[in-house]
Amino acid sequence: MPPEIEFYGVLLPGLLPVFLLSFVLMLLLDLAIGRLGLYRRLWHPSLFRFALFVCLFGAAGLLLIH
Amino acid sequence: MSATTTAKLPRWPWLGAFFAEESRAWLFVVKSLLAIYAAAWLAMWLKLEQPSTTMITVAVVMHPHSGMVLAKSFYRALGTLAGSTFGLALIALFPQQRELFFLTLSLWLALCAGGATLYRNFMAYGFVLAGYTAAIVTLPAVGNPLNSFDSAVMRVSEVLLGILVAAVFSDLLLPQRLRVVLRQSARTQFARFIDFVRESTGGVLPRARMEQAHLEFVRAAVQLEDLRASVIFEDPEVRTRSARMRLLNQRYMAAATSFQSLHHLINRLQRRRRDAVAQALVALYRPIGEALAVAPPERHEPALLTRRLRACVATLPAHTAALRVPFDQPAALLEFDTGAALVLRFADELADFTAVESSLRTGNLRGSVERVHFRRGNDVAGAAVAVLRTFLTMLVLAAFWLASGWAFGGSAMLLATIFAGLLAASPNPIAAATRTLYGYAAGMAAGFVAVFVLLPGSDGFAMLICATAGLLLIGPYLATRDTLPGVGAGYTLGFVYILALKNPMVYDPSHFLNDAIAQVAGLGLSGVAFMVLPGVTGTQWQRRRQLRLLREQVTLAASAPLAGLAWRFESVIRDLLQQTVAHTRPDSDESRHLLAWSLAVQESGRAVIELRQDLSGNELPAAAREAATLALTAVAQLYRAPDATRWQAADAAVLDAIHAVPRGAAVRRHLYQLRSALRDEESPLAAYLPAPETVDAA
Repeated sequence: MPPEIEFYGVLLPGLLPVFLLSFVLMLLLDLAIGRLGLYRRLWHPSLFRFALFVCLFGAAGLLLIH
Repeated sequence: MSATTTAKLPRWPWLGAFFAEESRAWLFVVKSLLAIYAAAWLAMWLKLEQPSTTMITVAVVMHPHSGMVLAKSFYRALGTLAGSTFGLALIALFPQQRELFFLTLSLWLALCAGGATLYRNFMAYGFVLAGYTAAIVTLPAVGNPLNSFDSAVMRVSEVLLGILVAAVFSDLLLPQRLRVVLRQSARTQFARFIDFVRESTGGVLPRARMEQAHLEFVRAAVQLEDLRASVIFEDPEVRTRSARMRLLNQRYMAAATSFQSLHHLINRLQRRRRDAVAQALVALYRPIGEALAVAPPERHEPALLTRRLRACVATLPAHTAALRVPFDQPAALLEFDTGAALVLRFADELADFTAVESSLRTGNLRGSVERVHFRRGNDVAGAAVAVLRTFLTMLVLAAFWLASGWAFGGSAMLLATIFAGLLAASPNPIAAATRTLYGYAAGMAAGFVAVFVLLPGSDGFAMLICATAGLLLIGPYLATRDTLPGVGAGYTLGFVYILALKNPMVYDPSHFLNDAIAQVAGLGLSGVAFMVLPGVTGTQWQRRRQLRLLREQVTLAASAPLAGLAWRFESVIRDLLQQTVAHTRPDSDESRHLLAWSLAVQESGRAVIELRQDLSGNELPAAAREAATLALTAVAQLYRAPDATRWQAADAAVLDAIHAVPRGAAVRRHLYQLRSALRDEESPLAAYLPAPETVDAA
């Protein structure tokens, strides 16, 4: 994937679509985890959500951009 | 920096409370400072042009009401995205036409301010941010025509970074969970309602007690909905329970309405010396109280209560038949039948209510539930005034800026934008604007000290924090004081804005002073605008409008399509009452008047809806159907604009309909209920009664 993408003449960072995609993925995972009631077993649910998102975005970014 | 170091001595209970409050306040201060400095550091690290934009965004967004953090950030994100998209589009569309640009921008800002007044929860915040973002993206770009688009894109990145940092910090650092509050208040509400029903099986409820209970139930219903709407973002688990919680609230409202209607009916019968009927109804109602009378440890156990209530509902028809025997006159029979139908309806609804509560508590959420929605009653006129006011303010500022070539017009406009939205929803905007202005001026004075005394000698980011943190923390700390609303927010914004942190830092006293004057002018003008076009939230005028809107709900109940109407009616009347009563003094004549109307609307509206459901369901002779429809229209007209002639028309039409409908039809009972509500001496409709006389129903 190129480091920058063109959108109607504006250069956007290539990470932006990756960010959006991992955000959508995160929402789906969040919904699934909530349905299964797994959040009740966690000490700090919002920290877990944040960390999960960082993992998703980091992994996707490293895999796709490099 | 926490103040809870000393041991809490039981001898001074206030000391513990003091430290608990102080530690909450300092937690907010620490969070805000960390978020602001982290935002500044990240903005510098990412080589953004103006780290100060990011810091201002964090300052606008951080709020001491923690807990509702994620709900806020959801609407914040929506608002920011809408605002920045609009800002970019505006820059792209009108790069050269300043007049059109300002006209469109003013319109957008005005609509955002109007939207902020229309919603009372965190959606209001999203609207404020949509306006703010559009302004901050476009205004600096206007003075920079050669690369306005790049500058706008840069501002968008800075604002988004600020939003992100604020959300992460407020959600991750010791968040206060709302879910606990929601669960607790739902349980308290359940317990209080059950207790109230059990204790009032004696039959007679004094009017004052009834009004007080009504207010309490309404408040509980609206608060529960507010909490639910916020917690849904905080907690993915609540989301799966959300549909059931909505249903719970609707069942609760339905049961409360039936309960109050029943008590109104019994009270009226007793006032008219129809003691035999009233006593029979009280006797019929007593088993419900007995079903609820459980020994304390399991007193509020919904599963048990549901079982007992269902058993009670099953015995009610036989009980009714037995109690009905002594009555032989048609009038007494109609009175009794109406009351008995209400008792049955109430018992049924109460059992439904406890059943939903029980399924929520045990977590047994299988199967789908009926989808219901809590509707809000919004007053559009209030929002329209806010739109007009903001539009004129922005237009005046923009015209002055264009005509005078004022170099700092952008700052003035930006400040006016932020505060037009934030102040519009406040109950006393002029006082709030004055206090914010004081805070803002103090913040700028502190900023002056920081920029020209403390910062020049410092070097590096750590030194920057050391030089500014002491002065900055005053703002968030003041924001946690409820006695000084607006001062803290004004101080923080004033300080951060005038600091205008850049990398490398620029020291320019004349620029500083000019900018300060422009900002004060912008803030002052947004305050002056409230004097010219006063805010309508909570004014006498709006309260009168809301009361009319409340009455018109009966008209709506008589004319709107039936699907989902009952739920909509129950939620709108409660939301309207809650909004209006919040601005009246408790126990004042006005608040009692409002409560009385709300009770009348609640009873008649529900009866109208039930009547219409009966009409659509069963087969009636054409003449009877026509008479009933006429009665509905007459009642609707009475509630739209109550006066003596309309009251007489409604009374006559309802009586005609009672005569026209064959005996034994359910329609007849609802008609009788309507008529008895019309003739209630304690309802506000009593003002239109011709002369005291007794009801002769059949």
